[in-house]
Amino acid sequence: MSAHAVEPIIELENVSRIYDTGRVQVPALVDANLTVAKGEFMAIIGPSGSGKSTMMNILGCLDRPTSGRYILDGQPVDELDDNGLAYVRSRSIGFVFQSYNLLPRTSALENVATPLMYQGVGRKERLSRAQAALERLGLGDRLDHEPSELSGGQQQRVGIARALVTEPALILADEPTGNLDSHSGAEVLSIFKDLHSLGRTIVLITHDIDVATAADRGVHIRDGQLYEAVLS
Amino acid sequence: MKLLDLMRLALGRLGTGKMRTGLTMLGIIIGVASVVALVSVAQGATKGISDQLNALGTNLLTVNPGFVRGAVTRGSFGGATTLTIADASAITGLDGVQAVAPELATSKLVIAGTQNETASIVGTTPAYLSVFAYDIWTGTFISQASVDQNLRVAVIGATTADNLSLTDSSIGSTIYIGGLPFELVGILQSKGGTGSEDDRVIVPLSTARELFVGSTSVSSIGLSATSQDAITTVSAEITALLDQRHGITAGATADFSITTQAQLLGTVSSVSDVLTLLLAGIASISLLVGGIGIMNIMLVSVRERTREIGIRKAIGARGRDILSQFLVEALALSLAGGAIGILFGVLASFAIGVYAGWGFVFNPITVVAAVGFSLVVGIVFGVWPASQAARLDPVVALRYE
Repeated sequence: MSAHAVEPIIELENVSRIYDTGRVQVPALVDANLTVAKGEFMAIIGPSGSGKSTMMNILGCLDRPTSGRYILDGQPVDELDDNGLAYVRSRSIGFVFQSYNLLPRTSALENVATPLMYQGVGRKERLSRAQAALERLGLGDRLDHEPSELSGGQQQRVGIARALVTEPALILADEPTGNLDSHSGAEVLSIFKDLHSLGRTIVLITHDIDVATAADRGVHIRDGQLYEAVLS
Repeated sequence: MKLLDLMRLALGRLGTGKMRTGLTMLGIIIGVASVVALVSVAQGATKGISDQLNALGTNLLTVNPGFVRGAVTRGSFGGATTLTIADASAITGLDGVQAVAPELATSKLVIAGTQNETASIVGTTPAYLSVFAYDIWTGTFISQASVDQNLRVAVIGATTADNLSLTDSSIGSTIYIGGLPFELVGILQSKGGTGSEDDRVIVPLSTARELFVGSTSVSSIGLSATSQDAITTVSAEITALLDQRHGITAGATADFSITTQAQLLGTVSSVSDVLTLLLAGIASISLLVGGIGIMNIMLVSVRERTREIGIRKAIGARGRDILSQFLVEALALSLAGGAIGILFGVLASFAIGVYAGWGFVFNPITVVAAVGFSLVVGIVFGVWPASQAARLDPVVALRYE
């Protein structure tokens, strides 16, 4: 499924994820094969219950596949232990969530600086890098605001700044516009387009085909299986 | 993660729920404060008793008639008649003995003017003053001449003087002991304390024997050694001397016993060790309860912050980062509680010490122990909730509402 001949960021080979509930085995992802090249903006499109969340958890190294190979940024990650996965998340992945998932009662600046704390970056440096990331997203005047003092669109921009601050190989966005009004949603999508034009690799997971058109390539996910999609 | 980052996180967190933080710490505050205060009370009480014993004279030895079996002296004070004045004179000649004061004790009604009380009467020699470390408040002590000539003179203790309404202007007046007239020649300085040492009437030994007892035995022999180091030697010398004088062969039970001040102090300190341990043990229970309070609040906190833990893990926190974060929070709670507890404990021991009259006894070891204890409480009761938090599956935690 490779569209580009450049080096891949994501390589999934026959990846399956089967949930064992004790009595029945639920296959959430079946023999998925996917390659995302460096600099690509890829959408994974599927309705709820399609295996979309499982896909996001595997790609984001929050969960391990039951079988198959997953190579992220040149490193096999399917057999890493919890600490190994945490290290990969810390270095290689920036998450953007539907419900923003900012730390409550914590300023925008501290929120964006937190991933750098887990990388062991000194406080002075991480605050200045966090401030730069927030300023790039037009939030230079909201540094000391806590999430509860920001609008949905602003919170999502803080979320994107937090995903960008570590300069990760992959930005993984799970329904980033799902909780936003259409104006803020469009704003967020244009931010992703800008990031793509600057060479970032982005995987956008959504149920909304209109949102998916922001990407330059897409796959459908249905009953745990992937199909190439045609984006108008 | 750096320690400084962990501390900043913990303090920020504790600052956001001040009421909850305060109530959680209260358990530790009460626990540590009671440990510090009760240990200090036990030590203060010990110091008070030791001070009183020292006021009796630190080089003091007492020879009592009767024999010791186990811890019990058979033949109560004044009941046995195996010690004589001649024994006392013989002891005077031993090396390391500074002064010897034989005592002949009895009890008589004492009348002064319109006041009367039944007081203990001690017949003794002038050496009594130095052996038992008394001071004269007014007048003089009984003299050697009064002993030699069986004079009817009396010196009374401070409490006896109070009870009989006698003051410095009463020196030279007549008091009646057992119905017989005596001249009051002196009043002793109070020794303080709660003992009976201030409630007695002292008369010449010969006079007491002639008028009240009528035998050559004495109730006990008090003596002072030349120094504290000499006490053991002197005690051995007296044993050998009296064994020989009383014809006691090896293996036979002695008809006398020797008590030294060091023995008494030893008994007091072993009793006080037990007391300290007991009080500290009782207080530790409240510390334990406080620790359980911390564990409880940390478990609730882990549950409430499940989503936060999921977020932190998603953005790169390892299990051990989460573990340290919650552990440092528990430690901050217990150490802050411990610090406030020490403050209250020290204040309480100061207040009790002043009230009870033994002054402020402060033992830095108690504080070190209290800090160590709060640390241990924080770790022991923080580790479990923290490891619960560290083990959370990020996928599940992120979906937690």
